[in-house]
Amino acid sequence: MRGSPLLRALLAFLAILSLAWPLRRLTTASEAPLERPETVVAEAEEIGLQLTFTLVPKSVKVRHLDREIWSETAPAAAMERSLKLPYPDEGIDLQFQIEWPGGASAPLAAMRATLTDPAGDAHEKSVWGQGGVDAVLTFP
Amino acid sequence: MSSRGIGNRRREAAGAACNDLAPKHDIPMLRRMKAFGLSWFTILTLTLSAFADEKVRVSSFSTILTEIAEQVGGDRVTVTGHVKPGVDPHDFEPKPGDLKTVGSAQVILLSAKHMEGYVGKLKESTGTKGALIEVGDRFASLKMKADDGHGHDHGGKGELVEDPHWWHSLASMNKAVKVVRDALSKAAPASAPAFTDNAARYLAKLDALQKWTRTELAKLPRDRRKLVTSHDAFQYFAKENGFTVYAIEGLSTADQPSSKKVAEIIATIKAQSVKAIFAEKIENPKVLTEITRETGAKLGGQLHADGLGEGEAATYEGMYRHNVSTIVNALK
Repeated sequence: MRGSPLLRALLAFLAILSLAWPLRRLTTASEAPLERPETVVAEAEEIGLQLTFTLVPKSVKVRHLDREIWSETAPAAAMERSLKLPYPDEGIDLQFQIEWPGGASAPLAAMRATLTDPAGDAHEKSVWGQGGVDAVLTFP
Repeated sequence: MSSRGIGNRRREAAGAACNDLAPKHDIPMLRRMKAFGLSWFTILTLTLSAFADEKVRVSSFSTILTEIAEQVGGDRVTVTGHVKPGVDPHDFEPKPGDLKTVGSAQVILLSAKHMEGYVGKLKESTGTKGALIEVGDRFASLKMKADDGHGHDHGGKGELVEDPHWWHSLASMNKAVKVVRDALSKAAPASAPAFTDNAARYLAKLDALQKWTRTELAKLPRDRRKLVTSHDAFQYFAKENGFTVYAIEGLSTADQPSSKKVAEIIATIKAQSVKAIFAEKIENPKVLTEITRETGAKLGGQLHADGLGEGEAATYEGMYRHNVSTIVNALK
């Protein structure tokens, strides 16, 4: 190759220098912090909840995601309520805290919970207890 | 002095001599007989009490099974835990000292479901007369495709393999307790009622843990139950509690993720809006850190995947509660 060695060195240096920026972009992570993923929350929809007891309880509480959504201090043997809750395809967990009269010597009692989902399908779950029960039921 | 008197005196003297001789001969004899009898009685008593108090010698190759054996066996067993807390059971290989202990064990407990690739070696080299109980093989397995051929006996790429991490299922734990109870009762039938009582107490604890778990997980919406972990150890937990697992590595901690797999995980995290991903106590979370940088998901904390550890994870209950609380706090 002909030409001044100084010129050749300069050309080689310029060639390397031109690669510096793309190389830096490829080998270093973006400095701008990435946004945390947005949590997609399922929209609240209307669901029906019907509770039926074999023995009228003293009190009933229903919790959803650690939040009280229904509380009755003078419940009846059968109760119904319409609730607005997010109802994802994966289903929901409802926590039932029931107190029956008679304490530990009370007879065995049961509650049947019927949940009607936003599509109109009914799902039934039961729970048994003596004196009281604190249980999580999953629907569907 | 009359001859009669002399004769009497002679007889008395002879009698006295005889009397002097008799005790000198009989007393040591009696003493010896008494000592002999006493010795036999002592030996017999000690032998019988030794038989009555003899503890069942148990060798365990899982930190979880070590706890179960200790809880069910109580003071009637001596348990040697060969896999120590914090040690990765996927990497464990028994040493000559372990094999020697196993040789004299009456009950040998293995996690099974192909966790212990050395089980054949254990059987051959110890010539053990003890009962070798492959606990995990006594109940149903989750089966999944192996990612690659690395790791302990976890199968080749694409092959269906048994998931060995059964202890993350409380239902499987329940069954394991009963298997251990029955094995100990067979080894020491006289102690069977005590083993049954101890097992019932431990099962009640597991039942309480199950109730606590249900209540705790009820705080987490079901559509957020997406578990991104380093190695694939939480499928049993996921199945029981409505989670979907996206594991970066395979079933064994020796499995390494391909760049394709990492790219897939990153895409999944973004598509599913997963808030957090989890490392494990005995894992290098380097890849996880890279994924968090790419996706913006946070590191949700470290989970105990392969058995008991130190501190709060020194007991099964502590380990399980730690895992559940860490998951709920990070994802809710």
